[in-house]
Amino acid sequence: MSDRPDDPKNNRGKGFSRRDFLKTSAVTGAIAGAGPTVFTRNAWAEREAIGNYPVKGKAVTFGFNVPQTGAYADEGADELRAYKLAVKHLNNGGGMLETMAPNELTGQGVLGKKVEYVSGDTQTDPDAARTSARRMIERDKVIMWGGGSSSATAIAQQYLAQEMGVVYMCGLTHSNDTTGKDRRRYGFRHFFNAYMSGKALGPVLADAYGTDRRAYHLTADYTWGHTQYDSIKQFTEAEGWTTVNNIMTPLGSSDYSQFLTQVLNSDADVLVLNHYGQDMVNSLTQAVQFGMRDMQKNGKDMQIVVPLYSRLMAQGAGAENIDGVFGSTAWNWALEDEGSQAFTKTFEAEYGFPPSQAAQTCYVQTLLYADACERAGTFYPPEVIKALEDHRITGIGPGEAHYRKGDHQCFKDMLVVQGKGPAEKEGEYDLLKIYQQVPREDVTYPVDTFPGKLGPYRPA
Amino acid sequence: MSNAVFLQLLTGLQLGAIYMLIALGLTLIFGTLGVVNFAHGALFMLGAYLGVIIAGETGFLLAILLVPPLLFLIGLLLERGIIQHFYDRPHTDQILVTFGIAIVVQEALKWIFGANNIPFPTPSWGSGVVMLHEYLPFLDGIVVYPQWRLILVVVSLVTVLALFGLLQFTRFGLVVRAGMRDSEILRFLGINIERRFAIVFGLGAGIAGIAGLFGGPVTQVYPGIGMAYLVPSFLVVVIGGMGSVPGAVLAALLLGMALSFSAEYSNIQQIIIYLIAVIVLLVRPRGLLGKKGVLE
Amino acid sequence: MSDPGDTNALRGEVLPVAIFAAIALTMPLWFPWIGGYSGLDTKILIFVIFVLGFDLLLGFTGYLSFGHAAFFGTSAYTTGLTLLHFSAEIIPAMLMSVLVTFVLALLIGLLLTKRTGIYFAILTLAFASMLYRAALSIFSDWTGGDNGLTGLPTPVLFGQPLHDTPMFLLVAAFAILGFWIALRIARSPFGLMLRAIKSNQERLAYTGVDVSLYKLWGFIVSGLYGGVAGSLMVIYEPYVATHFLHWTMSGEVVIMAVIGGVGTLIGPMIGAGFMMYFENVASAWIGEQWLLVLGLLFVLIMMYMPGGFMEGGRRLRAWFRHRRGIADAPTPEENDTHG
Repeated sequence: MSDRPDDPKNNRGKGFSRRDFLKTSAVTGAIAGAGPTVFTRNAWAEREAIGNYPVKGKAVTFGFNVPQTGAYADEGADELRAYKLAVKHLNNGGGMLETMAPNELTGQGVLGKKVEYVSGDTQTDPDAARTSARRMIERDKVIMWGGGSSSATAIAQQYLAQEMGVVYMCGLTHSNDTTGKDRRRYGFRHFFNAYMSGKALGPVLADAYGTDRRAYHLTADYTWGHTQYDSIKQFTEAEGWTTVNNIMTPLGSSDYSQFLTQVLNSDADVLVLNHYGQDMVNSLTQAVQFGMRDMQKNGKDMQIVVPLYSRLMAQGAGAENIDGVFGSTAWNWALEDEGSQAFTKTFEAEYGFPPSQAAQTCYVQTLLYADACERAGTFYPPEVIKALEDHRITGIGPGEAHYRKGDHQCFKDMLVVQGKGPAEKEGEYDLLKIYQQVPREDVTYPVDTFPGKLGPYRPA
Repeated sequence: MSNAVFLQLLTGLQLGAIYMLIALGLTLIFGTLGVVNFAHGALFMLGAYLGVIIAGETGFLLAILLVPPLLFLIGLLLERGIIQHFYDRPHTDQILVTFGIAIVVQEALKWIFGANNIPFPTPSWGSGVVMLHEYLPFLDGIVVYPQWRLILVVVSLVTVLALFGLLQFTRFGLVVRAGMRDSEILRFLGINIERRFAIVFGLGAGIAGIAGLFGGPVTQVYPGIGMAYLVPSFLVVVIGGMGSVPGAVLAALLLGMALSFSAEYSNIQQIIIYLIAVIVLLVRPRGLLGKKGVLE
Repeated sequence: MSDPGDTNALRGEVLPVAIFAAIALTMPLWFPWIGGYSGLDTKILIFVIFVLGFDLLLGFTGYLSFGHAAFFGTSAYTTGLTLLHFSAEIIPAMLMSVLVTFVLALLIGLLLTKRTGIYFAILTLAFASMLYRAALSIFSDWTGGDNGLTGLPTPVLFGQPLHDTPMFLLVAAFAILGFWIALRIARSPFGLMLRAIKSNQERLAYTGVDVSLYKLWGFIVSGLYGGVAGSLMVIYEPYVATHFLHWTMSGEVVIMAVIGGVGTLIGPMIGAGFMMYFENVASAWIGEQWLLVLGLLFVLIMMYMPGGFMEGGRRLRAWFRHRRGIADAPTPEENDTHG
C-alpha cells in the first residue's frame, strides 16, 4: 500500500482550510459516492485526510523546529546538523541505515518519495514554537516535525500535534510531564527523563558518596525543575540520603549567591543543582567559587551533583568546574556500539566535530519515524503511530530501544557520567567520562507511574 | 550577630554591588542626557566579552587597563553616530533605537562566539575563598566567602566614589550637573554642552565596561547576559530616583539585601524587586532620592 | 445627501474601516502569495487589536505603558481557565476575560493616574512582571507554570467548533470593530480630551477638567483592547503561554506601534503585520541571523524614518507628487489622523 497522489481529496483550494475541507469533503464525498469513486470508497474511507496526509507530489517534507536564537541556539544548531544528516542518509543511504535492525529503510527516500525539509526557530519559547510549527504544517505541509530544547516548548508542540494530526518527534526534553501527564498520541520522546535520571543516579551516588549524605537542592523554578527535584529526591532518599532543603530559584537567574549563602549556612554535605543550560552553568560555576568543592561538612568532602548534563553545558562551565561532578546524559559520542559509531563517524566527516546528545536524539527520531512509515506502508498518521508503538529496534545506540505504547516514552540504555578535569581531557569535545552505562531494564518504570492519557489516534 | 545573618548581609552587599555598577552608568546617562538607554545591558555585555577575550590572551591586569577605555570609545562612537540624534525625540523612539542596538550587539556576539557560555575564570590573584573568621573575631566556626565577590564590592565602591568626586568636585562635573537641571541655559551661556554630553555617554559606557569586566567571572559570559540585567538595572535607577547617583547606590543595596534575605522564600524571591519598585514609587513618586522634573 | 458632515464621516470613518475590512477579509486569499499561511493571518489580526489599544494610550494620551502584556496575558489565562473549567463556549470565557481585564486595568490605572513619563512606564513594567513571575511560581498550580496552560478543549461558538476559517472570521470581525471604535474614539470629545492631555495636561487641569478621570478611562479602554486580543489568542491557539505575560511581549507591542507610526492607528496596525510577518515568514528565509537583521532594521528606521512606516508612506507620496509636479495641499484626512 502506498500513498495515492490521485486521491480525490487532493485538490484543495488555496485559502480553503483543512478542517473545513474535511467537513465539505465528507458531504461531496457522499454525493460523489454514486460516481466513479464508488469502487475505492471503502479504501479511502479508512484513510481520510489527517493533518497533511495524503502526501502530494514526489517529495515528502519534514519540519525541523529548533532554537536558532536565545540561550539554546548552539544546541539548536547541532540538532539541525543532525536533521540534515538524517535527511541525507534517508535519501542516499549511510549512517545508521547500515546498523539499524530491523530496518526497512532503503536509502532512497521514504515510501518512494524523496525527503525534503524546512526549518524554523522555536526561540525556546512555547508560543513562538507553536507559531513556527503552524507555518510548517499549514504552509509547508510537513508530514512530521521535530526538534527543540526545552520541555515547555515540547509539551506545547505536542498538544498542537494532537490538534493538527501531524506527528511531532520531541527533541531534547527531560521533564517527566512530556510523557507523563502531558503525553499525547501524536508526540514521541526518544530522550530520557528526570525519573530515569533519578533511578540511574541514586545507586551510583550512594555507591560513590555513601548512604548517609545530607543533600541541599537548588531547583530551577519551572516544571522541568520541579519534576527533576521530585525524582532525584525520591531516589536518593531511597538510598538513605536526607534532603535538608530545596530552594526554587527563579528561571534565568544570573547570580545565585543568595541561594549559595543558604547552602553555606546549612549542614548539607551534597549540593544538587536541578538546573539546565545557562542556569546550570551559572549555579555550578558560582558554587565552585563559593568553595563548595573544597569544603568539609559533617567530616565529609562536600560534593556537587548535576543530574542532567549536556556537552554544551559542560563546555560552558569549563573543565575545572565540572571535574568529577556526577550527572546523567542520554548519549555520548564516545560510545562504542555500532550504531553510535556509525552516526558519530558520518557526523564528524560532515561537520568536523563529534555530535551532541541532542543531535543523536534528533537524528535517531527522524530515522525511526521514516522507518515506521515504511513498515506501515503509508504516511497515514494513525498507522505510522501504531508502527512506532512498541516496535523494538537495535543499532541506533547502545542496546535495544522502543517507544512504549502506553506513554510514548522511549526506553533504552542511558549513561551516568562524570565531568572530565583539565588533566584528563583530550581535546575540546572530550568533556564527559562515561562512569556507567545503565541498562534499559534498570530505568524502566511502570506505565502508570504518572497519570496521563495519550488521546485518540484520530485527532478530534 | 550569627554567622548566617552576617553572610546574608555580605551577600546582599555584593549582589547590590553588581546592580550598582550597572545602574551607575545608566543613571548618569538618564539624568544627564535624558536618554532611555536600552542598550546599556549590551554595553555591560560587551565589557564582559572584551574582558574574557583580553584576559584570556594577555591576562586580567591588562584587561583592566584596556576594557574600560575601549568601552568609553565605543560609547563615544555610539553617541556621535546614533544617540545624539535622539535627544529631542520621544522616549519611545529612544527605546526602540537603543533596543535595536542591543539586539544587534547581542546577535552579532552570538554569531561570532556562539550562544553558549564562554568560561571566564577569575584571575589567580582573585580566586579561592577568604577565611573570614580569621579576620572577624565575632564569627564563630569556619566562615568562608569567595574572594572575587569581595573584590567586586571594593571595585564598586571605588567606582562610585570616583564618579561622585568627578561630578561633585570638578568643573566638568559642575557643568554636567547643571546640564541635568537645564541644558537650555548652558547652551545660552555658550558652553559646549554637546561635547560634554558625548563624554558623559562615553563615561557611562566605560562604567558598564568595568561592570562587565569584573562582573563577568560572576555572571558568566553569554549573549543573553545583557538582557538579563537590563530590567533589574532599570529598576535600580528608577527606585533610586532618575539621575541620582546616591539614589542608585541606595536602591542597589536595597534590592541586594531584599534578594539575599528572601532567598529561602521562592514565591517572594520571584517578585521582590518588582514589589519594591511598586511600593517605593507609589510612596515616593520620584524614587528614593529623585529630583522634581527629571524625565517626567 | 451632500451634507459636509456626512462626507466627513465617510472620509473619516467609513472609508478607512471599509478599506481595512476589505484588506483583512481577503487576507486568506492574498496572504499565501507572499509566503503567509492560515493561522498567521489570524495571529496578525489579534495583534492588530492589541496594538490599536496600545496606540490609543501612547499615541493619544502620550503614556508609554511597558506592561501591556499584563492585560493580554491575564485575559489569556482567564479565557483558558474558563474554557477548561467552565465551558468550551467562548462567550462566557470572553465576557469573563473582559471583566477581569477591566478590574485589573481599573486597579492599576487608579494607582498610576498621578504618575508620568518613565515612572509610569517602569511601574506598568513592574506590575506586569509581578504577574508574570506569579504565574510561573505562586499560581503555577492553576497556570501550569512554564509549561503553560495545556489541555484546553476546542473552543466552540454556539456549539460550532472554532477552527481555521470561522476562527479567522471571528478575529477579523473583532479587528474591524476594534478599528472602527478606535477611530470613533479618536474623533470623539473623549479622544480630543486624551490628546489635550498629551499636549499639555497642566493647562487642561486649570480649565477645570478632571484629567485623572480621562486618563483612567483612556488606560482602561486601552487595556480592554489588550484583554480582547489576549482572549482571542487563546481561543485561536487553545493554549496559554507564560510568555503572554512577559515583558518582551509588552516590548513587542511598543515596537509594533513605534515602527508603524505612533498616534496614527493605521501605522501600528501595519507595524503589527510587519513584525509578525518578519518573525514568522521572513525569518525562515533569512535563517539564523534574522534577529540581527531585525535589530538593524529598527535602528535604521528610527534613524531615517522617525515617524515609522506612516512617515515613509507620506514621504513616498510627497515624492510622487513632486515628480508629477503637483503641489497638493495636505488633505484634511491627513491633518486629522496623523496629528
